[in-house]
Amino acid sequence: MTADQPRRARSRATSARAVLEAIATRTEAARRLEAGSSEAVLRSIVEATVTLFQANAASIALFDPPTNRLVFRVAAGEQGSGVLGLSIATDQGLAGYVFSTGQAIAISDVANDARFGRAFAARTGYIPTSIVAVPLVDEEGTIGVLQVLDKRDSNAFSLRDVELAAVFARQAAIAISASRVERDTATLLVEVARRLTDGSGTGADALVAAAGAELARGDGTGLWGLVDAVARLRRADPAQMALVADLVGVLADHAERTGRARRRGRPGRGPARGAASPSDDE
Amino acid sequence: MDLDLPAWSEPFVGERRAALRRRRPFGDVGREWAWGGATGAGLRVAVIDSGIERDHPAVGGMLRESVRVELNEGEASVVDDPEAADVVGHGTACAGIIHGFAPEAELISVRVLGPDNRGKGAAFAAGLEWAIERGASVVNLSLSSKSDAMFPVFHDLADAAYFANVLLVSAANNVPGPSYPSLFAAVVSVAAHDLDDPWAFFYNPAPPVEFGARGVDVDVAWRGGSRIVATGNSFAAPHMAGIATLIRQKHPEASPFEVKAILAATSTGSMPEAPRDAPEAHLTG
Repeated sequence: MTADQPRRARSRATSARAVLEAIATRTEAARRLEAGSSEAVLRSIVEATVTLFQANAASIALFDPPTNRLVFRVAAGEQGSGVLGLSIATDQGLAGYVFSTGQAIAISDVANDARFGRAFAARTGYIPTSIVAVPLVDEEGTIGVLQVLDKRDSNAFSLRDVELAAVFARQAAIAISASRVERDTATLLVEVARRLTDGSGTGADALVAAAGAELARGDGTGLWGLVDAVARLRRADPAQMALVADLVGVLADHAERTGRARRRGRPGRGPARGAASPSDDE
Repeated sequence: MDLDLPAWSEPFVGERRAALRRRRPFGDVGREWAWGGATGAGLRVAVIDSGIERDHPAVGGMLRESVRVELNEGEASVVDDPEAADVVGHGTACAGIIHGFAPEAELISVRVLGPDNRGKGAAFAAGLEWAIERGASVVNLSLSSKSDAMFPVFHDLADAAYFANVLLVSAANNVPGPSYPSLFAAVVSVAAHDLDDPWAFFYNPAPPVEFGARGVDVDVAWRGGSRIVATGNSFAAPHMAGIATLIRQKHPEASPFEVKAILAATSTGSMPEAPRDAPEAHLTG
């Protein structure tokens, strides 16, 4: 075994480079797909929603795990902007209910609800009379809520409206998933680099074997994505890094168990599977 | 434009409803036989939701028990909730609909929505398990989980309810992808139709969603003693829960699958004889 060590080390270095290039390519691709910011995509979705529904406002609130609240990230329409940056608890109001239960709901005659988010609505500068709220659902669960307020040509939302809003919500969820793939891939990349460069990572061999066998060949164009990702990941806090280390550990274990057998996975399911899955490149 | 709409309500809306006309499988089973005279007396109906407002006129003082699920580091526990708050209004809306059908049924509120969203699927499951063990005759679930991790948990609970003679009534979730337990065979899954008739409900012989009930522009109870007009499958489910409660009172020997069969037999558009050029009017009778 010891006689093979130089060759194995060389082979490992070559594999490691291939892995890094492949991941960098994916990072760059995901970043371009994201067109700079998922918020731009989300904004275009709420703008389209307002236009299609002829509504006074539309907004998307996303779940913010650190604060455990729903934060209004984008809004459109004449009465939309007041909500930006505000947040609500996940058990409060219609948005909280829709987020917590995954049920799409429309309500009208809101004015009859004496306490209906009145304080919150006052903060936004606009008190609606009808609302449709649908969950943003990706493969990991509910991640936010799309709300449409007050159709101009009707005082209520129909069942069809609810279902149509769900289609827009789905587009938003897809955009967010794409940006998550990018973020997770970048996070994983730094961990891989750290493990390979400090020479202590016992999981590195398995990781290389798994990722090297499955990732598409990098063509070298992802260098800037790599640099970018590394720079961003330096800002990750220790808790995030610990989580990444755990994820890499799971990936390494999985690689050891399955050897070089190809696995098919869906993109965006999670950092480990997302990064090692060939499906994005096929 | 070919939109990829989630279509659980589609069989129950507009002209599509005509396809649901069918010959009644048990010729003599009619609504009078099924639940005529029933009030829900002696039965307990659990509403797993955002809570039930004890003093709301729509629940007629029938709230008998109120609990909530607390999560501590992922561990769910059920505790008394004597204040019986409903921070949203939705649970009170569902309870009010059920009370409208079964005014003498006792209501149990299981509040599973809390300020901490982490592990909400676990909270739903803990609330459902508690309601099954508490011996509710009917459990209304106008919520579901999309977490794959919760699939086996809800599957086991749906079986447990079925074997324990507890009928689960669950709102279909109008977003793409599976949701649990609303699409399990053991539950009464419900989507909305757009007729303004609380007693009109349809059986769909092409599951997964088997029943359509009123769910569009429904005048419902809401928090703070108020009422609003609401649309969604989650308001259709308590219509079926209310009617099922009446059946369970009148036919206490009927098991969950027999109740489901009675619901199918008495559904709108189900006729003693095979329909021959039956006019649309029959559908709403």
